Amino acid sequence: MNDERTLKIREIAKELLSKGEIAVFIGYGKGTCNGKARPIFVRTPEEADELIFDSTCSNNLVTYLKFPAVRDEGVVGIVVKGCDAKALVGLIRESQLMREQVRIVAVTCEGVVADDGQLQLRCQYCDVANPTFYDFLVGSPVEDQKPRDFSGLLEKYETMSVEERWEFWQSQFEKCIRCYACRQACPLCYCTRCIVEKNQPQWIETSSHLRGNFAWNIIRAFHLAGRCAGCGACEDACPVDIPLMLLNYKLEKEIWDYFHYRVDLDPESVPPFTTFKTDDRGEFIL
Amino acid sequence: MARIGVFVCHCGENIASVVDCERVAKISASLPGVTYATDYKYMCSDPGQDLIKSAIAEHNLNGVVVAACSPHMHETTFRKAAQQAGLNPYLCEMANIREHCSWVHDDHEKATQKAIDLVRIMVEKVRRNHPLEPVRVSVTKRALVIGGGIAGIQAALDMANGGIEVVLVEKEPSIGGHMAQLSETFPTLDCSQCILTPKMVEVAQHPNIKLYTYSEVENVSGFVGNFKVTVRKKARSVNMELCNGCGLCTQKCPSRKIPNEFDRGLSNRSAIYIPFPQAIPNKPVIDRDHCIHFKTGKCGVCEKVCGTKAIDFDQQDELVNEEVGAIVVATGYDLYNISMDQPNDKLEGYGEYGYGKYPDVIDGLQFERLLSATGPTGGKILRPSDGKEPKNVVFISCVGSRHNAKGITYCSKICCTYIAKHGMLYKHKVPDGNAYVFYMDVRTSGKRFDEFWRRAVEEDGLVYLRGRVSKIYEQDGHLIVKGADTLSGVAVEVEADLVVLATAIVPQPNIEKLFQNLGISYDEYNFVTEAHPKLRPVESSTAGIFLAGACHSPKDIPESVAQASAAASKALILLSKPELEREPLVAKVNEATCIGCFYCLRACPAKAITEKEIKNRAGEVLRKVSEVNPSVCTGCGTCVSVCFSNSIDLEGFTDEQIYAEINSVIERMSVIQQ
Ligand SMILES: Cc1cc2nc3c(=O)[nH]c(=O)nc-3n(C[C@H](O)[C@H](O)[C@H](O)COP(=O)(O)OP(=O)(O)OC[C@H]3O[C@@H](n4cnc5c(N)ncnc54)[C@H](O)[C@@H]3O)c2cc1C
Ligand code: SF4
Ligand code: SF4
Repeated sequence: MNDERTLKIREIAKELLSKGEIAVFIGYGKGTCNGKARPIFVRTPEEADELIFDSTCSNNLVTYLKFPAVRDEGVVGIVVKGCDAKALVGLIRESQLMREQVRIVAVTCEGVVADDGQLQLRCQYCDVANPTFYDFLVGSPVEDQKPRDFSGLLEKYETMSVEERWEFWQSQFEKCIRCYACRQACPLCYCTRCIVEKNQPQWIETSSHLRGNFAWNIIRAFHLAGRCAGCGACEDACPVDIPLMLLNYKLEKEIWDYFHYRVDLDPESVPPFTTFKTDDRGEFIL
Repeated sequence: MARIGVFVCHCGENIASVVDCERVAKISASLPGVTYATDYKYMCSDPGQDLIKSAIAEHNLNGVVVAACSPHMHETTFRKAAQQAGLNPYLCEMANIREHCSWVHDDHEKATQKAIDLVRIMVEKVRRNHPLEPVRVSVTKRALVIGGGIAGIQAALDMANGGIEVVLVEKEPSIGGHMAQLSETFPTLDCSQCILTPKMVEVAQHPNIKLYTYSEVENVSGFVGNFKVTVRKKARSVNMELCNGCGLCTQKCPSRKIPNEFDRGLSNRSAIYIPFPQAIPNKPVIDRDHCIHFKTGKCGVCEKVCGTKAIDFDQQDELVNEEVGAIVVATGYDLYNISMDQPNDKLEGYGEYGYGKYPDVIDGLQFERLLSATGPTGGKILRPSDGKEPKNVVFISCVGSRHNAKGITYCSKICCTYIAKHGMLYKHKVPDGNAYVFYMDVRTSGKRFDEFWRRAVEEDGLVYLRGRVSKIYEQDGHLIVKGADTLSGVAVEVEADLVVLATAIVPQPNIEKLFQNLGISYDEYNFVTEAHPKLRPVESSTAGIFLAGACHSPKDIPESVAQASAAASKALILLSKPELEREPLVAKVNEATCIGCFYCLRACPAKAITEKEIKNRAGEVLRKVSEVNPSVCTGCGTCVSVCFSNSIDLEGFTDEQIYAEINSVIERMSVIQQ
């Protein structure tokens, strides 16, 4: 069952750890439920034999890099798929991580599966199956570079009347229990004091009530606009199954249509919401 | 405890005719935090201000809301008054119940309710205001003038004579602007070149003036007192130090069929050329688009004939940086063109006049060139098509101007007077010729202007016909001008040999790019707007940037010069101060929550944000956060909107204040709904 990527990852981790080039290696190990892989932290060359890689390695390990406690251990080795790499580059782009703080083991990826064994939604739109940002590349090239075209997915919602759409989202956000799992799981939601915790003034109501739920979910999505890596961690983490990726994809589409920008693997690329240009399109301003 | 005073102004009838000011004051008095409220006919008047001052003292107020006009008008006035009464000026705010209320509504009851709401909002804001101190910054005692027409020249000379170092940037190879193209000038008919050239020479020789011709302003950053300007010196392909201006190259250049811009296409020039004999600097430039060497790599005749080896085909554009404290914009005008190609879809050409396809239908500046002794015909009136002297000349006013259907509603102002001048000068040169003028109105206001056009009619016999020309077409070598004389009510047809169109004065093409770069406002036609139409006519909307000449609106020379001197003196006043005070309404970073993504640093249009290291006692860097330089920040708030950790606030417009303002109306609305 061990595919060649597993062996290669173990080899790299062992080498980095034994040479002392890294303090910790974050990868995937065998899980205990559903046969699904789980994240593991490896600190000795011996432990590296627990590392695996297969199609159940769905989690985005980059999320751990947003925690100072992890970074403080020293240089971190980490396994990333293309989608995860976008998040990692995002952290570098946003000055949360320095390139030399990580040794990146990127894997080529034909898609990973959800708990139910189905291919993850995001993998149907993957444009980074062969990652280009890494120290080590593992796995042979895969052919699968898919167009990032969400129109089929979004059409159903975009053609709804405003009332219908409002009702749809109301029924979704009603479920939100404000556990903030989406935020915790998101590699790019790293503020030490999140806006929802600011109470002078309190823009977002914190009790689990429809009004505050709307505000929270929409502001979360907007704060990720032009930044979201599309890794799906938020939606996977949501215990009440709110289709958060619909919001994320919609914003990605809008930003592409408006500004021709898409999150990529280049730390120098400039997200449109972080620039000021006098020639920005402004027809939406009255 | 808030002790706020509310002062409701009637603004004469302006507010009081729609809003019940007395009631606004009465209800305001009962708002939480309000200690005192009153209304008065003119709050900005001396007694009105005294009212505020004595109320501050008497009621021990710690906040003031003046419900009156726009803060644009009088915020400074009222803040000063508050300060004189011992209150920090930033504890005084205005609620705009004129532009935002009385001027736009006519339902008295609803308008009064809205005025009360506007006061309510401001009271909530002032309750959360805190004292602020102005930011002090030093001043760079230099000035930049953009545009070297008569307005720019005058402004530069005045400031230079006032002891200030001036950088003058002109995009053409020579200074002089349109005035250099004119023949004789109304109302005195003195020769344009004769009065302009001495000033151009003075510019060139002035020790305080640094002249960049064939150059453009590429970028402007900074703020009043401290602008940073990048100037692009376009490659002239001629080494200005080596060239002695002999002009041999311009005679030998084989590429000679290029329409001469200075003669507005009525003559040709060579690819290497000096724009006109009196040009400053009097040195040539290579027009790379038409130079055979640049097109094919061959030729190089100029290089061969030049005795001083001044030709430099490899010259590159050069970027130079200048620091200045004040800027005068004097980019002048252009003429509307009747052709089919228009800069935007609001404008329309004149199909009825042939869209410019008849060579003997020319514009006013072309006629100036025909009249000019240095022009293509040596000052003889000869028409472009066959070089014959025209015996019947028709002048048409308001071509483009005041013509809503064609997209321009304003009056170009100077045409009526120059048409009279043109007719007069034509008659002086061709005494047996006939000059007809089709006009809408004759608008020759200006000192001695009306006398001037009367002279044209009474002494020189110009024939004035009131009406628009509906069509111009060619027939048997003549131009038929079809119009109406609306005074006698008959249709008129004139067989003309030459037609001169007084086309509208429009701003320079694409000039809005420069204005955006400078951050100054402009109107729908791209003329610069002044800070106040009556009281601040030579100031732009941005502090430290002034305006002069026809870039502001159509103007004649005396007006352009007067405005230039006014702008220069405004700039000199500014630069005479040792330091400037700036509004403290700037961004502030909450270092405790700033996560250091530095998106604000990238987004800030003023480049006011830098990285700051937070260190522990041992001097180790713990993390980095953003820091705002208050003397550079313009308070635009861009950073506030990009900060997703909500760690930047704008002084005077804090989140807390805006939240309270919004809440105050929402609360009232929910009361109404119940
Ligand atoms: C047909 C005609 C006849 C006239 N006759 C008379 C008359 O008899 N008497 C009278 O008083 N007035 C007359 N005028 C009006 C006169 O031409 C103007 O009042 C005067 O030229 C305005 O001067 P200015 O400096 O504002 O603009 P301009 O003369 O237009 O000068 C502007 C200068 O700025 C430069 N410039 C533009 N953009 C830039 C840029 N981005 N960067 C750097 N430089 C730039 C231009 O190249 C130009 O040199 C006449 C006008 C016309 C059209
Ligand atoms: S918002 Fe969701 S999909 Fe986007 S980066 Fe964060 S976790 Fe991944
Ligand atoms: S408000 Fe913010 S973005 Fe605007 S100038 Fe100041 S620091 Fe820059």
